[in-house]
Amino acid sequence: MIQNTSAARSSFAQISKAIAPFTSAFKTPAGRIGLPLVLLHVLLAAFGSYLAPYSATDFSDATYVKPFTSAVDGAIPHILGTDQFGRDVFSRLLSGARSIILISGIGSILGVALGTAIGMTSGYLGGKADEIIMRVADGLMSFPSLLLALLVLSVSDSLMWLDGISSAFATGKESILVIGTMAVVHAPRVARVLRSATLTIKTQEYVDSARLRGESAYYIIFKEILPNALPVLAVEGSVRFSYAILLASSLGFLGLGVEPPSPDWGAMISDSRSILTRAPWVPLAPAAAVASLVVGVNLLTEGIRDAQKLPTELPE
Amino acid sequence: MTDNSINQTDAAPLLEVKNLGVSFFTPRGTVRAVRDASLTVRRGEVVGLVGESGCGKSTVAFSIMGYLPGIVQVDGEILYDGKDLVGMDESDLEALRGNRIAMVYQDPQTSLNPTMKIGPQMEEVLKTHLDLGKQEIRSRAIELFESVGLASPDTIGERYPHELSGGMQQRVVIALALACEPDLLIMDEPTTGLDVTTEATILDLIVDLKDRVNAGILFVSHNLGVIARVADRVTVMYASQTVEDADVRSIFNSPQHPYTAGLLSCVPKPANELGITPRLKSIPGSVFEARLEAGNECLFAPRCPIAHDQCTQNAPEISDTDGHRVRCFFPDEVTSDIWGELKPRRDFESEDDAVVIEANDLNVRYRSRQGKKYILFGDEAQPPVRAVVDASFKVTKSRTLGIVGESGSGKSTTARALIGLTQKSSGSMLLNGDELETDSANRSDDQRADLRMVFQNPTASLNPKLPIKHAITRSLKLFGNLDNQGAYDEARALLEAVGLNPDYIERIPSELSGGEQQRVALASAFAANPKAILADEAVSALDVSVQAQVLNLLLRNQQENETSFVFISHDLGVVRYVSDDIMVMYAGHVAEQGPADAVLSSPSHPYTEALLSAAPEPDPDATPSIIRLDGAVPTMRERFTGCFFADRCHRKIDQRCDEIEPPAQSGNSPDHIIRCHIPVDQLASQS
Repeated sequence: MIQNTSAARSSFAQISKAIAPFTSAFKTPAGRIGLPLVLLHVLLAAFGSYLAPYSATDFSDATYVKPFTSAVDGAIPHILGTDQFGRDVFSRLLSGARSIILISGIGSILGVALGTAIGMTSGYLGGKADEIIMRVADGLMSFPSLLLALLVLSVSDSLMWLDGISSAFATGKESILVIGTMAVVHAPRVARVLRSATLTIKTQEYVDSARLRGESAYYIIFKEILPNALPVLAVEGSVRFSYAILLASSLGFLGLGVEPPSPDWGAMISDSRSILTRAPWVPLAPAAAVASLVVGVNLLTEGIRDAQKLPTELPE
Repeated sequence: MTDNSINQTDAAPLLEVKNLGVSFFTPRGTVRAVRDASLTVRRGEVVGLVGESGCGKSTVAFSIMGYLPGIVQVDGEILYDGKDLVGMDESDLEALRGNRIAMVYQDPQTSLNPTMKIGPQMEEVLKTHLDLGKQEIRSRAIELFESVGLASPDTIGERYPHELSGGMQQRVVIALALACEPDLLIMDEPTTGLDVTTEATILDLIVDLKDRVNAGILFVSHNLGVIARVADRVTVMYASQTVEDADVRSIFNSPQHPYTAGLLSCVPKPANELGITPRLKSIPGSVFEARLEAGNECLFAPRCPIAHDQCTQNAPEISDTDGHRVRCFFPDEVTSDIWGELKPRRDFESEDDAVVIEANDLNVRYRSRQGKKYILFGDEAQPPVRAVVDASFKVTKSRTLGIVGESGSGKSTTARALIGLTQKSSGSMLLNGDELETDSANRSDDQRADLRMVFQNPTASLNPKLPIKHAITRSLKLFGNLDNQGAYDEARALLEAVGLNPDYIERIPSELSGGEQQRVALASAFAANPKAILADEAVSALDVSVQAQVLNLLLRNQQENETSFVFISHDLGVVRYVSDDIMVMYAGHVAEQGPADAVLSSPSHPYTEALLSAAPEPDPDATPSIIRLDGAVPTMRERFTGCFFADRCHRKIDQRCDEIEPPAQSGNSPDHIIRCHIPVDQLASQS
């Protein structure tokens, strides 16, 4: 019984420790704006499609309806108007949130996880192994990420083994490839940062004393060093997320994201850029959505960084 | 300690701090850094300001300079030459600072601009404050460098700070402070970061300055030995209040505040006339925190052995008897034994001479880079640094080997090689007769469990993100094969054994004080009853009262578990207190080793002699010894020949010292070894 409660207490403590960078970020001005903005987008991704007043994909005759007006008297107003095919922009925006957040979220989480594991191991091992791993990372980093993504996507048809994975996750091959590319692109950058954090932390005496207890390298890296690298990790993860969003929407803009007609913010901008002068709200709305998400993530990053400089609370 | 024939009490005070209070308003609440401090400095007088960390000594010093950061409220008066500095406007203060009042900080490296040569830095100060011509400034700079005892004062101005040793840097800082012939010199722990031999030379300089310059000096230090050496008057601070203020002899010989008496009894002293080293007394508990609001009570009462009811009901005021001012209701009750009777250091002697740790010709070389300078091209890289050279020693059951030496002497490297964190280059290490692998990772669990280590910095040796139980329970699980619950219970028991509340077990290290953290580190080292513990400067980062607690804890553990210790410290007093055997190291070489009494008495190696005479004694009547070493410990590289100590030796005899490695001679007994060219009988006679 005592065992259980103490186990519960420690798992609760672990969770609260893990989200601590975010909760403390809320205490800074930047975090106070950034965190709600990001949370709003995440909520939209989760529930947006259910809130949408109109279908996101069905064409209608009510084309170019201006924002905040109804096409027909008594109907729900089109908050952000309609596009050249009569689709409700607001509904498309809500439905499109999911794909971009999911793709960039999963992509950056995978990249951060991969990069953390590689970077910390490399930093902890040091010596020749470190040298080799870091040179490979340098090589990967010299590749422009968009170009790499385009390259991978252009050969997607020939990658038969991906069919199984994409059907298992009930999604297109492209999404899987974009996520995979993000992970590969971000991992070396994350690895670099985590490696340098590890290099500093591993000289601390508590790491020495863990080695003297005969702990395994795995235990020392993930149990002793990782908790101390968490603040760095939170900032880095957040930075990677904002880059992932930009990459995902860039690919969408180039027509390589989610397959039409399902809405995608990048594709929405691309499709409507020709009508920028006639119905500016149509391209501007998704552009603003991408921008607000990226700004939100960046502000959150800033907040996390600032929060680390705040004095920690005194114990009771 | 010099006798000043002028009757100082008659002179008008240069600086008078009256009932100073300093409060910082921080996001974490109000911090009462100084509650009620009063002190007086006269011309030609050194006033020592002493107390443990967190007692507000430095804040007093900084508030005199007017350097208080953040949102701050200053109460009381700081009278300098009759003018109140509190509330004086910035431009008037500016005129005083640097010109009339100068300050010397703890770390000379941060006080000097690393990108500027010494000379221009000095000339800049002179130009700002004095109206002198170019040539006059130059000659004045040289004069100043000479006055602080810098070698070749006319060329030293051409050097950058990093080209000077720590002691020389501090001399430059003192010269800068003296530039405008200030009336008041404030020194904030000016020797704390320096090695003991360097510290001794700087203290000599300060004592000398006191007689030469007509200035008052406020000397802030936590080190009672240093204070006894330089101060004429001493002000003791506790919990942001001055608790006692008197001339130096009264403070050291007949303290009237229990805290002062306690501090004095916490400092390790040499054996008394009977050859018994008295056991250290310790002050229980910890300092009343600055962020707490004081009630109507004596702030020392919770830790005081003679506290009466009155002490918790009323706050004592400072009372003055013949210039001896004390903040206590019962100064007459303060005697030397209020902190416990005089007991010998420990009440057992080990009979068992089973060897626990043995090292034979242990060598450690550090290689900066192997092969060529640029991996494949360039010159050969520098030859490896000889960090430890041919060290051989034995530690028997429940005995302590003390390793002493300045920084860079290789004592920590010896410990790290023993424990397997640093790779030895050659030689052998044995634990209970079994060979120890070079790398800790290749040793058996039993060996790891039997040989543990305590590090210097308790804050760094505990993982800041994990509860304190972590280090203890992990050791228990790995070495004691206990399950979760068993390890948890045992960890609580261990915490209790080191005098900590077992309910602290879930706390993270930052919620504990430095002394409490070091106790946790000890508890984790004691886990699974090791045969031997290596303590690398284990008490150096601690305040003197906490240091005594930890030292006594180590001795008790030794007594109960028959543990052997290797105790490493730069502080000869501490090593002398804990050790049965002593090994003196210098630049990686063992200069002298043997039983503690033999090493500390004549004949000794010239380096031991210098170390002994440099160690400040907490006794104002002690005659300072004259043996002083210049310079710093050199880095020994592979191609070095001759005696390791020849460069700095004050007893260097002839060419032999530069060319031939010194022989190992037997001193008092066969196991007392001195590595020196000077014959043993001469070593004995001359010292």
